[in-house]
Amino acid sequence: MKNVLWAQFSKDKRNPLFVLLLIAGSIVATIVFGGGIQSATTVGIFSEEDNAAAIEKKWGMLLNTDDSFTFEIVDPEEARKDIKKGNIDVAVKVTEDDYRLLVSKKMPTISSIEQHVDKVFKQEAQIRAVEAQVGRDVRDEMENYLADAPLQMESQGVDSEQIPTYNIRTQLLFAFTFLISMFILGFKVNNVTQDKVSGIWDRMIFSPMKKTSMYSGYLLYSFLITMLQIIVVLIVFKYVLHYDVGDNLWLIILIAACFVFGMISIAMLITGFVRTPEQFYAIYPSVIPLIPLISGAYMMPGTITNPVLLFIADLFPLAHAMDAIMSVVFYGAALQDVTMSLLYMLLIGIVAMGVGINLVERRSR
Amino acid sequence: MLETINLSKSFKGKKVVQDINLYLDNGESVGLLGPNGAGKSTTISMISTLIKPTSGRITMNGVNAIAKPGEIRSVSGVVPQELALYQELSAYENLKFFGSIYKLRGKELDKAIQQALEFVGLENRKKDLVKTYSGGMKRRLNIAAALLHRPKILILDEPTVGIDPQSRNHILEAVRALNQQDGTTILYTSHYMEEVEQLCDRLYIMDHGKIIAAGTKDELLSILSTEDKIKVEVNKLDEAFVEQVKTMEGVRKLEVSELQLKIIAAKGSSLISKLVHLTEQHQIQLLNFHTETPSLEDVFLHLTGRTLRD
Repeated sequence: MKNVLWAQFSKDKRNPLFVLLLIAGSIVATIVFGGGIQSATTVGIFSEEDNAAAIEKKWGMLLNTDDSFTFEIVDPEEARKDIKKGNIDVAVKVTEDDYRLLVSKKMPTISSIEQHVDKVFKQEAQIRAVEAQVGRDVRDEMENYLADAPLQMESQGVDSEQIPTYNIRTQLLFAFTFLISMFILGFKVNNVTQDKVSGIWDRMIFSPMKKTSMYSGYLLYSFLITMLQIIVVLIVFKYVLHYDVGDNLWLIILIAACFVFGMISIAMLITGFVRTPEQFYAIYPSVIPLIPLISGAYMMPGTITNPVLLFIADLFPLAHAMDAIMSVVFYGAALQDVTMSLLYMLLIGIVAMGVGINLVERRSR
Repeated sequence: MLETINLSKSFKGKKVVQDINLYLDNGESVGLLGPNGAGKSTTISMISTLIKPTSGRITMNGVNAIAKPGEIRSVSGVVPQELALYQELSAYENLKFFGSIYKLRGKELDKAIQQALEFVGLENRKKDLVKTYSGGMKRRLNIAAALLHRPKILILDEPTVGIDPQSRNHILEAVRALNQQDGTTILYTSHYMEEVEQLCDRLYIMDHGKIIAAGTKDELLSILSTEDKIKVEVNKLDEAFVEQVKTMEGVRKLEVSELQLKIIAAKGSSLISKLVHLTEQHQIQLLNFHTETPSLEDVFLHLTGRTLRD
């Protein structure tokens, strides 16, 4: 097994660009798609009503209550032009009592912007309805009343006083890191097929080396190089870019390890269906980007409700890994709280690995 | 030493190798000759226990090698037709890897690598990456990788495909030295007649998955002992002349290419005097003619009706 590990490592040592590019890629993707280094996302608002200035000023004040977003008043023509050109992802057109989102492309942040805008407009509609009934301004009254309401809810963490706060950027960090890691591990698992086609595999079979050592060498190398990528990315985000990835880094690494094992097994399963490395290169990159989408890795938890999609997502380790990591990062979950997710990933890994290796062996006969 | 009995292999119901019976004695050099697609590589893969035969037996010193593949694997080295090398690594690194899978370590491994590199003449390029090698150098390294554990039997599957004559000669010399100096038993497959003629004590000729002839070179040539091969060059050719040559008494096979006739005729059929007479009749000038001893290529042509490279 050590010989195979050494050979695989020596190959990558000669040509490290591929792995380095993918590590850099996962950092850049998180920064680009996650909306920068923990800075607030700027969203343009505009109105085309007769009293546009007053409407824009009113909604600008009401919308700027969340630290995650900054709503800036922009020129309607400029906003439309920027949306058409794709220079900005979203702008909000506001009227006296309604809004419309102008979207250039469906980015992961848009659903959280929409959620915030919708919440503000609904709250405002409720206040107006009350004012219409009582015939006077009740805003200050309501605010004073709510500040000292008779029934008050206090949110608290499971194990701490701290209130857990959800953050889409942290979720995207893990989503993109895992997406890139699936590519790295897949391409490394594909070395089995590559060496089979080149005849190197046959040379090893002919030697006293055991088949378990051969498979272990390839799979362990794939595991180690992928874990390296994940750990490097996590360290960069935690200690350099100061992302909130929770305090329990070891538990996150354990979850990542189970995820990588599960996905290596899925890659092995796909290897069992192909004859050449080229077929793998055609199939694997087509399938992999779908897994985070189905698993809801780019969306806020609870966005996907379709039972069929949820069932499909459960068949892949990513959904379980994201669940477990979100629990650890946002709610301070401990090992016993994420044990089920870890077991699901290990189970998927064992089943897929068993079937995959069986298929690979059948093809060799 | 090594024997196959009625060895057959089918893929998806189609028989690609049928009833192969061959044997290798200690220290022999045996050739397996046949055109592309004859079933040589499948036979080699079965003998080297890499694929299981559909039926038949392989024995190594009397032990069933299908049930105990270690019997063959422990004493053999296989040079595959593909370049089974890591292109991104140097020759030394490749040999270090292939040596280590045979459990060679430390000084023993270094010595084996050095000897193998010297044997194939690559010791000066050992630090260069394989991807920078010429085709011939890669083929030589492909052989070196099979020699590290000093096998008693070396199985080579078309080791000279697609290389320059200089590298081919180097490989043939190296294989001959292994056989004659080290006493390594050789099983050599090729579709190049001259290589097998040059290297091997005995030959098996395969076509369409079957062995169609076997024996020493002389034994195989004796198949054509009742025939003469005559080459005739003329200044012009016409159809009537060719037709008349074809129907001449004793002519068994006629090949015409440009202004040359290749005739295989029954021995003692006095064809030359008849040919001279016929050229005079057709006012054709006879430029050159000579009688050749039949080669193995002619034996193959005789047995299959086509040449090895068809």
